[in-house]
Amino acid sequence: MLFKMHDEKPSLGLEFAHGEAIIREGEPGDCLYVILEGRAEVVVDDGSETPYVMAILERDSYFGEMSMFTDHPRVATVRALGPVRVMSVDKRGFLRWMGEDPSFSMRIMIKMAERIRSLIAEVVRLRTTLRTLKESET
Amino acid sequence: MQLNPNSRIAIIGGGPSGSLSAYFLLELAKQMGLTLQVDLFEPRDFTATGPPGCNMCGGVISESLMQKMATEGIRLPDSVLLDAIDSYVLHTDTDFAAIRPLHEEMRIASIFRGGGPLGADSQRPLPWTSFDLHLLDLAKSLGTRHISRRVRHLSWDKDAKPQVYLQPTKGDPIQEETPFGTYDLLIGCVGLNGSGIKLFEKLDFGYHPPASDRAWIAELYMGAEEVHRRLGNAMHIFLLNIPRLQFAALTPKGHYATFIILGHEVDESLAKQVFQAPQVKHLFPEGWEAPVRPCHCQPRINIGPPRHPFTDRVVLVGDCASSRLYKDGIGAAYRMAKACAVTVLTHGIGANDFQRGYWPACRSLDHDNRLGHFLFSMDGVMRKFPPFRQAILTVIRAEQKQPKGPHRLSSALWDTFTGSASYTNIFARAAHPVIVLRMLAAIIRALINSLKGSTHVV
Repeated sequence: MLFKMHDEKPSLGLEFAHGEAIIREGEPGDCLYVILEGRAEVVVDDGSETPYVMAILERDSYFGEMSMFTDHPRVATVRALGPVRVMSVDKRGFLRWMGEDPSFSMRIMIKMAERIRSLIAEVVRLRTTLRTLKESET
Repeated sequence: MQLNPNSRIAIIGGGPSGSLSAYFLLELAKQMGLTLQVDLFEPRDFTATGPPGCNMCGGVISESLMQKMATEGIRLPDSVLLDAIDSYVLHTDTDFAAIRPLHEEMRIASIFRGGGPLGADSQRPLPWTSFDLHLLDLAKSLGTRHISRRVRHLSWDKDAKPQVYLQPTKGDPIQEETPFGTYDLLIGCVGLNGSGIKLFEKLDFGYHPPASDRAWIAELYMGAEEVHRRLGNAMHIFLLNIPRLQFAALTPKGHYATFIILGHEVDESLAKQVFQAPQVKHLFPEGWEAPVRPCHCQPRINIGPPRHPFTDRVVLVGDCASSRLYKDGIGAAYRMAKACAVTVLTHGIGANDFQRGYWPACRSLDHDNRLGHFLFSMDGVMRKFPPFRQAILTVIRAEQKQPKGPHRLSSALWDTFTGSASYTNIFARAAHPVIVLRMLAAIIRALINSLKGSTHVV
């Protein structure tokens, strides 16, 4: 077949192998990432032997979006779960586009609101567990 | 004047500005809890190869548009993306230099707007999908009704609402004098190349289409291996001293190379001159001749601002209104479709609403294009003064040897040719004192070299 796609068709974005860190906790960040293909895990070093896995991110998910709004270092490490392809979005472009069109960041704001909501639910769950433990001790 | 629940919207034209207008309207309306009825009129079959299925465009998605789409959740399937581009090679009459961005990531894609080039039909099923079809499907997935018919006439009803009349077809139960529909809002996304623009001129609200010029675009079959051996993953830009030529570009696109010529009223004779230029010929296999009649088109492109692209309940978006000069027309369609949708849903659908919400976005683009005209006119100066062009290549080469940058001139040129930043932004960066000083030094060196009789600048 004449138009059989060539094997070496280049792919957009950056590719990472299983286990490779895409961003690292504590490092400065100046871009966010969108997963084009594959899955990734968000891990936080909580002092225990195995890092705490906070979330599994699927295709089309974002991560590193907090660096768009603050200058703080990355708060978590994101590692590839199997082969992953991501596209980076530069902070400079992001802020410029947001200035031109405030609705541009709507999807990210919605996602951040969802994450805050689940974090609050997690805090409430942990406090309840802690209270139950304390009560059982007394 | 506002949209209400179940308001009816007609969009004429199913290119990127039409489909994206529908997409953003429905997406934003959903977030606001508003239900809208959107009819999109597009008779073109985007699965057809050659001119019947194509909206005539070079088919490159800029870096900024790829990032915007990824951020806003608009996904392009792999079958739409034919090639990824990682660098630009700038060819002048005497020399060339490659420009690579500091990031090692491919964020520019080449696509086919329609079903593919003429002649590809015999090879069905084709391994690619039309970009325009994908966007149309995206709009349909949110509830847009696609009316695959040609619009014959537009008019106003007694309440000053726009009405759409369809071109009758054989055995069509729709009577010629009966409107297909009366709408609360009419959006014209008719481009510059069809008869659609006349429909809006006849509505007689003072709309005047933008100034335009003619480009020349051809899809040249070379086979995927040959395309990548010859062009790599780079877009090749030719700044040649040929009268009427602004610039030409050769883009890898899977099995094809897309040749784009921009200039003043580009015609066959200018295209032939560009093809014969040694800088172009050496990128093709030895003895390779351009097909006598390749799949090609000579679309009109927007080079100036429109007049009155809106009135009460009517607005024009895309090439038939404000677009970006020469580069990133699809990105401009994206931006203006969004500006239109935001205006309609947050301001309203009256002329005053468009004046307050949509017009500033048009004017911002039009003002930026003025600076674009100035930047491209500088190329005319460069042609008359070859050491200037040599100096540009010298500075680019010196910058590209610095792995960590900053690549000031390279990044300004990268953004010029990728369409990834506004001309205002590019101009501000190109006028940086460091670039000016480096250019002056390189011009002096080039002048000395030319006095010595050498034309090659190391």
